[in-house]
Amino acid sequence: MSSHAAQSDQPATPDMTAKRQEVAVALATLVPANCILSSSEELKPYESDGLTVFKKTPLLVVLPETVEQVQAILRWANAAKVPVVARGAGTGLSGGALPLEHGILLGLAKFSQILELNTERGFARVQPGVRNLAISDAARPYGLYYAPDPSSQIACTIGGNVAENSGGVHCLKYGLTVHNVMAVTVVTIDGELLEIGSNAMDSAGYDLLALLNGSEGMLAVVVEVTVKLLATPPCAKLVMAAFNSVEDAGSAVGEVIAAGIIPAGLELMDKPAMEAAEAFANCGYPTDSAALLLCELDGLEEEVTDQIKKVSAVFKSCNVATLRVAETEDERLLLWKGRKSAFPAVGRLAPDYYCIDGTIPRGQLPYVLRRMEQLSAEYELPIANVFHAGDGNLHPLILFDANIPGETERTEALGSRILLLCVEVGGTVTGEHGVGVEKINEMCVQFDEASLLQFHAIKAAFDPDGLLNPGKAVPTLQRCAEFGAMHVHHGQIPFPELERF
Amino acid sequence: MNVPDQDRKNQSGQDNTEQLVDQVQQAISTHTPINIVGGSSKSFLGRCSEHKSLHTSEHTGVVNYEPTELVVTVRTGTPMKELNRLLADNGQMLPFEPPVFNTGTIGGVLACGLSGPARPFAGSARDYVLGMRVINGLGQALRFGGEVMKNVAGYDAARLHVGAYGTLGVLLEASMKVLPVPEAELTLQRELTQPNVTADLVALMRQPLPISAASIIESTQYIRLSGSASAVEAAAKTCGGEPVNNAAEYWRSLRELDHAFFNDDRPLWRISVPEFTAPMDLEGDWLLDWAGAQRFLKTELDAEKIYAAAAAVKGHASCYSSAQMQASEPLFQPLAGAMLSLQKRVRDSFDANRIFNPGRYHPELDF
Repeated sequence: MSSHAAQSDQPATPDMTAKRQEVAVALATLVPANCILSSSEELKPYESDGLTVFKKTPLLVVLPETVEQVQAILRWANAAKVPVVARGAGTGLSGGALPLEHGILLGLAKFSQILELNTERGFARVQPGVRNLAISDAARPYGLYYAPDPSSQIACTIGGNVAENSGGVHCLKYGLTVHNVMAVTVVTIDGELLEIGSNAMDSAGYDLLALLNGSEGMLAVVVEVTVKLLATPPCAKLVMAAFNSVEDAGSAVGEVIAAGIIPAGLELMDKPAMEAAEAFANCGYPTDSAALLLCELDGLEEEVTDQIKKVSAVFKSCNVATLRVAETEDERLLLWKGRKSAFPAVGRLAPDYYCIDGTIPRGQLPYVLRRMEQLSAEYELPIANVFHAGDGNLHPLILFDANIPGETERTEALGSRILLLCVEVGGTVTGEHGVGVEKINEMCVQFDEASLLQFHAIKAAFDPDGLLNPGKAVPTLQRCAEFGAMHVHHGQIPFPELERF
Repeated sequence: MNVPDQDRKNQSGQDNTEQLVDQVQQAISTHTPINIVGGSSKSFLGRCSEHKSLHTSEHTGVVNYEPTELVVTVRTGTPMKELNRLLADNGQMLPFEPPVFNTGTIGGVLACGLSGPARPFAGSARDYVLGMRVINGLGQALRFGGEVMKNVAGYDAARLHVGAYGTLGVLLEASMKVLPVPEAELTLQRELTQPNVTADLVALMRQPLPISAASIIESTQYIRLSGSASAVEAAAKTCGGEPVNNAAEYWRSLRELDHAFFNDDRPLWRISVPEFTAPMDLEGDWLLDWAGAQRFLKTELDAEKIYAAAAAVKGHASCYSSAQMQASEPLFQPLAGAMLSLQKRVRDSFDANRIFNPGRYHPELDF
């Protein structure tokens, strides 16, 4: 969330109107007229993705219905040198699908078919606009499911999941999108259709499948995805453990893993997050504690029973204050409900909240939380923390009021400062939300110049003219120079009142 | 408040980054390609050129290992034996079960993208790579990914290097996710009515069972179960079959390619296909690992025939006996068309001057 990129909706200039007209005429030769949106009312819903502080009106929106149309559109865009931003459900939180004023927005919502659900061979071949949860819903009657479960899974689409390499609460045990996608069919900027990966476990040549996952729509447009379906574990049990200090909770996480147990989910909430969730969901969290762990174990019933005994013993040895094993499925779901509603729950505490997404080495958690407390005081903004403790992915939620002048900017500066803190302790500026436009400045801190240039070279190998989602994910060196000059003292930006670039 | 020291436990070995960068820069300035060598254990994979060698074997040691973080960072010249020992001492392992090949290094394992019998169930070498330091074709030491489980900053260039046979750069360091060694293991043997048919295994994989390896030799199926003692016991009842004695040695011999099956003068081929593929019509002797997704074939057949058969079932083949093949015969399933052009451009982006391992991998990517 960097203010210099945020823009208000400007009325279209006569030049833009003419350009829009020209592009609409060209595209009308490639797709049916009802696939092209160009009036301002039609374009409005597409002006942002899940990160709504950024808004831009695209030149126009095109919603193709066939792969051939996608190929024709990209071939045309390549020849006309018009940038293209691909978009799924628009639930992304980093502005990865933010439109460009001089570019077309390629919406893939009409690609919403499950093409093949092969329950005998354990895979599903789907179009990119299929919702994440729809895959598991279709597979469930056969005792199968698709493992990655980002919290937006009811709405987000598999094409977007590939673009962002999405995670979820179960990824410590079951992996990220990159671990669960077997193949993608993509259209390159020159309109070429390529199959990358297959039902075999590897492919000839370089592993482009790994490279495509998490590439934020910068390398190619995904038009088909083959995902692995796993057998649903017959048993899942949840242990709730509350601690009187974050340090105890943090060391309990380490001790569980040291005991040789990999939980299906391991979530930590600090006191503000726990209190908000309890007030929202009435799920029975002990709000007099300092930190709460939810530890889910799944597998065969025999194994889960063993592991619950082990995990309970570990928590007891780590000064647990309250320990509870959900006895019934209802109780398990209720305890999860608090965690899963943590974001809206925190949202009730302030008019606005801003969700950060960094990953840190787990052992650094107590230090990072202490440091964040100091930063919270320094910037005069409250922070609540939810943490995928199993894999070190931290989601601080900054509470603010966008109507108070200066508060949005202060929130941005604090957010940026927290991301740099993650890099400082050996972590990363984004665990699962992607860089998009939001974290592009912080990339300059995480990567040196040579590595950024290597990223640009990879991009050029796929898209020599930089037409696919330009300006996202990887900063230019010029941008880093400006950011570096600005960012002398960690967040102490000189002249914060001035508009920056 | 200062950042607490990152726990840099078990540091050992020697950092040769500077020397390696110097040697690469010299190779670039003199336009002399180099041949990257670790433990010299994988010369049967791909063609080693006669170019000057760049040795990573002195670049060794653990950079960071904190068992409770489930991450290990090592220099790539570290012998597999040493790395396995360190992890085992801490009750952990590399879950993709890579081969040791006696003197092999972790760098070689990752460069060749090698995974053992656990691969279909636990994941592959690239799945466990979290970050990498590499020298690119400009002689720069770059860092991709990191030491954390979830990281989507920048393109996943670390995993791209896995299985690239060193043709995109010299691997310096790798950070990998590690996991606890399972509490119990049991291997069951079942007889098939028809040889080399995977249908039973494919069906078994749809059930929530803790299977960690599955192979077929002729008409005998071997299924390994791993997990808590109670889970293994329960799953064994569902699976059925006879417990196998000395099963650890059996799986080791598949991983290291020294099972009696491999003791045969004919060239060895690896054919990677979907596990549900029917028995392939290629003359020779077969061993099916990875539940049928990795098929080893001992045969005198022409390379061309094998590549065609693999392509026909949407798979690919590679030759594991480079010394026995004519120089004109490709050792890896040839790439073609738009895929070849794209892969060449990817190679260009890392090594435009073809300094690294020319001839070793797909020769069609060299031009």
